[in-house]
Amino acid sequence: MEKKLQVKDLTISFRTTNGKVQAVRGINFDLAKGETLAIVGESGSGKSVTSKAVLGILAGNSIVEGGEIIYDGKDLLKISEEEFHKLRGDKIAMIFQDPMSSLNPIVRIGKQLTEAMILKGKARQKENRKNFNTTLELVRKAMIEAVAKGDSAKASELTAKCKKFDQFEYKHLELENAYNAAHEAAIEVADDIEPLVFELEKKAAKDLRYRLNTIASQAKQTFHTYVIAKDRNRVITLADSLSALNNPKKYGEDLPELRAALTELREIMLSASNRPVPNFFTMGYYVTFVNKLLPDMHIEELNAFMRKKLDEDFMLDFIDNVKAALIWSATNADAAKREAITSLRSNRALFEKEDLDKAACKQAIKEMSAVVSRSIDKLELVKDSFAYTFEKGMNGDLDKYFESIGKNAKEEKRFARQTAKHEAKTAKGKEPDWTVVPASITNLELVRKNMLAQIDRLADHYEEVLSTRASRDFDAEAVAVIDYLKACAGGVVKKVTKRMAKARAIKLMGEVGIPEPRKRYTQYPFEFSGGMRQRIVIAIALAADPDILICDEPTTALDVTIQSQILELINKLKAERNLSIIFITHDLGVVANMADRIAVMYAGKIVEYGTSRDVFYESAHPYTWALLSSMPDLDTKEKLDAIPGTPPDMLYPPVGDAFAARNKYAMQIDFEKQPPMFKISETHSAATWLLHPDAPKVERPKIITERIARMEAKRKESANDGE
Amino acid sequence: MENNEVLLRVEHLCQYFGTTKAVDDVSFDIRKGEVFGLVGESGCGKTTTGRSIIKLYDITSGSVYFKGIRIAAGVKSYKDAIAAAKKELAETKARLKGNTSSEAKAEIANASAKCAKTVSEMRAEIKKAKFDQKNCDKEYAKEQTAKLNAEYRPKLAANPGDKELKAEYKNKLNKARKSRLVTQIQMIFQDPIASLDPRMTVKEIISEGLIVHGEKDKKVLEEKVYEMLELVGLVREHAGRYPHEFSGGQKQRVGVARSVIMNPELIIADEPVSALDVSIQAQVINLLNELRDRLGLTLLFVAHDLSVVKYFSDRIGVMYYGKMVELAPSDELFLNPLHPYTRSLLSAIPLPDPEYEKQRKRIVYNPLAEHDYSKEEPTMREIKPGHFVRCNTEEYERYLEILK
Repeated sequence: MEKKLQVKDLTISFRTTNGKVQAVRGINFDLAKGETLAIVGESGSGKSVTSKAVLGILAGNSIVEGGEIIYDGKDLLKISEEEFHKLRGDKIAMIFQDPMSSLNPIVRIGKQLTEAMILKGKARQKENRKNFNTTLELVRKAMIEAVAKGDSAKASELTAKCKKFDQFEYKHLELENAYNAAHEAAIEVADDIEPLVFELEKKAAKDLRYRLNTIASQAKQTFHTYVIAKDRNRVITLADSLSALNNPKKYGEDLPELRAALTELREIMLSASNRPVPNFFTMGYYVTFVNKLLPDMHIEELNAFMRKKLDEDFMLDFIDNVKAALIWSATNADAAKREAITSLRSNRALFEKEDLDKAACKQAIKEMSAVVSRSIDKLELVKDSFAYTFEKGMNGDLDKYFESIGKNAKEEKRFARQTAKHEAKTAKGKEPDWTVVPASITNLELVRKNMLAQIDRLADHYEEVLSTRASRDFDAEAVAVIDYLKACAGGVVKKVTKRMAKARAIKLMGEVGIPEPRKRYTQYPFEFSGGMRQRIVIAIALAADPDILICDEPTTALDVTIQSQILELINKLKAERNLSIIFITHDLGVVANMADRIAVMYAGKIVEYGTSRDVFYESAHPYTWALLSSMPDLDTKEKLDAIPGTPPDMLYPPVGDAFAARNKYAMQIDFEKQPPMFKISETHSAATWLLHPDAPKVERPKIITERIARMEAKRKESANDGE
Repeated sequence: MENNEVLLRVEHLCQYFGTTKAVDDVSFDIRKGEVFGLVGESGCGKTTTGRSIIKLYDITSGSVYFKGIRIAAGVKSYKDAIAAAKKELAETKARLKGNTSSEAKAEIANASAKCAKTVSEMRAEIKKAKFDQKNCDKEYAKEQTAKLNAEYRPKLAANPGDKELKAEYKNKLNKARKSRLVTQIQMIFQDPIASLDPRMTVKEIISEGLIVHGEKDKKVLEEKVYEMLELVGLVREHAGRYPHEFSGGQKQRVGVARSVIMNPELIIADEPVSALDVSIQAQVINLLNELRDRLGLTLLFVAHDLSVVKYFSDRIGVMYYGKMVELAPSDELFLNPLHPYTRSLLSAIPLPDPEYEKQRKRIVYNPLAEHDYSKEEPTMREIKPGHFVRCNTEEYERYLEILK
């Protein structure tokens, strides 16, 4: 299955006045397309911190000590804030725990829903314009290098070609957008009329005046040569008759004439929306460079005619040129890549030493990044995340390293003072109830390892790229580059107006199950109940059409009925849009409902990881057992197995298994050494020494096995009832 | 736990906020030593019911009896009765206007007399209700003081020089004067963080109630606080700390200690575990269960987590939009849910079993579609000993069919 998100060895700490709190300690998981991964654990286990890291909203005092979060080929921990802006809320969205505090109380719901859409629309336009211009410029330069080879006449010809492409591409989009607007309006009119006719028949039409006006004004937007041409006058007459209807007394009645008019309008719109569509790309070329007037032909003929014209005049040649440019650029980059590998391998030794030499390291990074930046094939559409983030990642780590070993006078003084105090107190025979916070809290070893890993990874990655180089299909890539340019241009022309945003917002509100969205659109958050508010939050999260939805305890503040509705809604949307969901909660009942796979977290580590079936029926970690048995179900009568004590203080994480102190199955080794992840099956693994081959055999608590048996019996019974 | 002594009786309790009927005509009673669960979705009035009982609100109508004494009373029903009587009289007068026959005169005179009687009766009721609402505690304090006087006065008269005895008498008298019936009902709040004053130490928080009610001896206070801390599973050293130094579960334990120190007979626990983690939830539930066995407490347990309520309660009342719709022993309620709202509520409980969850279908409750109350209004009816459902005659018969 396609992996949407991969988290590898993620380690996050927080700087506090008492020292370093280790919130997340090297966790690994991945998220496939269209699946729900539930992260379960107590508060303070690091589950929210993990999700915040994915969304890039960690608190200011956080230190990302290592690891990576790969989304779409990019490492989210290393990309710049500007790049993150494009992902956050757009590709990765979040539903927060408390619907009251995540909505602005003094802004109307409608504004809050459309705000992001409009802002994102403008940003996208800007970004697309930039991408289009830079890519075309790069292509032009590469073309001149590859094809003209110093011939200035040839070069200016190529430049002219690029300009031509630019011109007719924009014309194409202009034409297409005008058509799309009219076409969409036609479909919408048809969609709006259908329920209205039904309601009129049942004599239960509400909001009739408003709806008729909308239909009439929309109908007038459908005029376009390729949508409504010969029926134009008829549509105008019908629309006028709709807006002329002005007798509110009759609204609750059946109006046969009105129904007839509406039905006729709907027929026209339906047939209009089913007409064949001309190829606007070729038409753009034809209109700009051949003839402003189109020949009078049937649409299919016209399409073929224009395509032939475009191909012969321009396109085949242009694609060839682009291909040549790509080959040239790739060859250059490959040569640079070979250089980069040698440079990386030779400079590696510098970072292996215990004490790093600052000047030498800086110089080495500079050297390496220079050759790495040369080795990036800028015309490649799939961005190489390792190469792009290399310089920033290396410099960041190096700075971190030297900052923490460099003399920070203030911290040193504090450290000396505290040590003296501590010693004085111990000398008196008392045991102080505090410990000395070290002057530096960065883990130097880890930072150094990080840098080495980055170098190795990039070199290995380059070797792999070079070995698979032969199989590249440049014909397909050239077409892909042109498609990419087309898509960018499309983004530039596509505007999100307030009106469009409103229409979309109202549609979304209907989708998440808010009755009367048109009325609700202008209300304030306090006019909504808790469940409705949470729906609004979900609608906002979905407004940008995200790939990944992070739900941080979305139903904890709600009661059962509403909770059940919200969960159903999330499940429905997941199926409809093929969303990937990270679901964070401590309620195991909810997890059972939602999750495809489950990661149980404790003290910053994943202690058990598996499919929903694995974790509920075959659970292996004592902490999972404790969680399962501490929660009553409908048949529980005996005393609950509460987990004694509290989670460990992550200022001083325990040496061994973090759960050992609260674990009644703990063995000696649990206090001494951290258990590795033991693999139980293909999908299921757990970090507990109990799974070690030498460990004594331990049965799961009775309360769980009994519950499973009971549930199974119940299921069978209900299945029998069903038959 | 067969005990039929009624500790708390709620009769026709109504609590209106303006035009919003938060609680509308709710009646139930809680027997000594049992746990009574109150469930329903948010906004259905379960918390308001709890708060009305402990007199955090002045109730609109109805009465609350604690140990047989009326501690809260509302007057709206009486006022409504007066208005209705006056309206009836006015109608009679209007009907007979212009009719000068002697029969008509007699009828009017009769109606006026009836109205006057109702009005005077109801006014007396209102006076009584207002008196009870205001003075139940004072009366209780007077009673306690009188009891104390009766006990100590003869002793003091016998040996007038005994200073110790005199001091003891004074101390007890002080407490008796300040004693209140309502302090025997205590509350545990939902949010342990918000319900503890961050500027008070745990000792101050726990002992505050005792101080307010006249305990001045610091040693006694300290001992009591330590005793309570140990009772709820904390240690003495915790007394000097501030709330922020505790975890969520420990904070809730402090909240429990604060309510238990007043030696209450009834504790109203308003969603005591909703804000806590699963593992901590289990700790607090176990603690409440233990206290209940040890101190013979009676609990009104308000929550929306049905698995917890089922586990914890002896009887459960289901509320929907201010009305009690079903009341039954907890096993009975889960075995034979009759009211469609109860069924819908039960169908929404998520259980820790993925296979079951895949099959679970939520039943949607739509009051307009489920009930036809155009002919007859529903009332609470006992359908089986101890099992009450709000229904009208037609539904009653249908439910009886289902039970067979």
